[in-house]
Amino acid sequence: MTMKLEDIKKLADLARIDISEEEMTGLAKDFDAILAYVGQVQEVSKLGKNEALHENPSNYFLQNVMREDVATNKAGEFTEKILANAPDTQDGYLKVKQIM
Amino acid sequence: MGLYVKIRLNNKIINIKNFSTGMNINLKELNIEKTHEHFKNGDFTIRELVDEYLKVISEKNKRINAYLEIYKDIDEQINKAEEMFKNGTATVLTGIPFSLKDNILFEGHIASASSKILGNHVANYDAFVVKKLREQGVIFLGRTNMDEFAMGSSTETSAYGITRNPLNEELVPGGSSGGPAASVAGDMALVALGTETCGSVRQPSAFCGLVGLKPTYGGVSRSGVISMGSSLDQVGPMGKSVNDVEIVFNATKGFDEKDSTSIPDDKREIKDKSIKRKIGVPRSFLNGGGLDNEVLKNFEESCDKLKKAGYEIIDIDLPSMKYSLAVYYILMPAEVSSNLARYDGIRYGEKVDGNNLLEVYRKSRGVGFGKETRRRVLLGTYILSHGYYDAYYNTALKVRQIIKDEIFNSFKDIDVFITPAVPFLPFKLGEKMNDPIAMYLCDIFSAPANLADIPSIAIPSGFTSNGLPFSIQFTAPFLREDILFTIGKDFEKLV
Repeated sequence: MTMKLEDIKKLADLARIDISEEEMTGLAKDFDAILAYVGQVQEVSKLGKNEALHENPSNYFLQNVMREDVATNKAGEFTEKILANAPDTQDGYLKVKQIM
Repeated sequence: MGLYVKIRLNNKIINIKNFSTGMNINLKELNIEKTHEHFKNGDFTIRELVDEYLKVISEKNKRINAYLEIYKDIDEQINKAEEMFKNGTATVLTGIPFSLKDNILFEGHIASASSKILGNHVANYDAFVVKKLREQGVIFLGRTNMDEFAMGSSTETSAYGITRNPLNEELVPGGSSGGPAASVAGDMALVALGTETCGSVRQPSAFCGLVGLKPTYGGVSRSGVISMGSSLDQVGPMGKSVNDVEIVFNATKGFDEKDSTSIPDDKREIKDKSIKRKIGVPRSFLNGGGLDNEVLKNFEESCDKLKKAGYEIIDIDLPSMKYSLAVYYILMPAEVSSNLARYDGIRYGEKVDGNNLLEVYRKSRGVGFGKETRRRVLLGTYILSHGYYDAYYNTALKVRQIIKDEIFNSFKDIDVFITPAVPFLPFKLGEKMNDPIAMYLCDIFSAPANLADIPSIAIPSGFTSNGLPFSIQFTAPFLREDILFTIGKDFEKLV
């Protein structure tokens, strides 16, 4: 398949990134090459062998880790430090453009 | 206490203490254990050693650009380490000069992942690995350059300039941990911490003549490491010998509740550490890897040396392994596109103003992310979008499983499998920047270990007539770093 400029524009919209038209044209070309390369995986999946081997430890070590949904720090303990990294703040809050 | 000199870093002039000690420490000869002996014997002090490294940094870094910043609190770190020697709590790592990759958090210090969008982001806490090493009193000299968000194989996508290979300044140091590799190869640190998602520790180690370890997934906590591809990311040590890398790995591994992929300590014990002395070579995978002739010849020589040392070399057939890099270039961008959604110009770093919130996001991300980052976020967005998700992402997950299990089964007959670490030698700066696929192929031999969650180590295997390093890669079963260290130390003696 061939990527069109409109396809790339749509992706840039979805990803919330402003990209110049010139770069998007280049990206369309790159994507064709990259998708042709990674599309190889579709050859393997036809083998149909998808059951994970239970004896393989890397298959069973990954588990969901749960904890009680409780605060683990005091209210406001890190607020100042965290806000210090934000570009725009006011009265202990992140400041953003009006959204309504 | 010496004079202060000015050194230039990233166009900022900083003052560092001068090195008027008159010491003559041969940095090339040092390793962690020797340095510890020198400290104990009083041959030189921690401060004298650090000054020696700072001297080399002031001479070389302007050109090499391994470091983006030399930390201002080195004196305090030295005082703490000296105190540990005085009160008897010093370990083999106390006072050892480290460099830190720019995506690993060190409280109170900038960590930018070499991206503009993080700007002068200051870490609010220590990464688990940093905390563990600080407890042992290591000296972090500074933070090192990398490909932006660890996306690249040459350290040319950093927002803060390229890094040169200290072995030949016209060549790339590899990436994404090119700064860490160059810092050690250029005698600007004794050891380094890097990170890897697919080859980013092993490949720059190979290109700079170093040993680099990618630990078992879940072996070393990623708490405090800026995320790229979370199902793959690991922190790994880079050094001049297998023993140095082993020491740092042992100091940084361990369970951490702050990383939900961290393996509990009691599940890590290996009961039977005996080895078969059998090594597998995945022949058909090698032949499809675009191998350079010189690299192949060196690899065959390494196989012969291992045979002479009593190892049996067996050809193994892993038919799905050749799809590893393709699987990687589906899963990684997908994970990148979601991990990097947090950089929006609101919570961190650089913000570009706009007429509304959407414009702020779009402009901040457009300006704050570099070209390769933009490419991968868009690629991941495509892969995860409705209509393509099954064809790419879900298929890649299935193939990853097949590769994992194929590799697992192969270990019933062998201790490790080997390949060259990289299919070719370090390349010229700029050579692959306009061809993303050519750049991605640097990691073709790296991908299987990352996808299979298993440990893998790159070890120098000789030099070309021009002094460029060859490297061999050993890959072992889940949690079996011990095999890599045992065979790796044997191999070092053969080179």
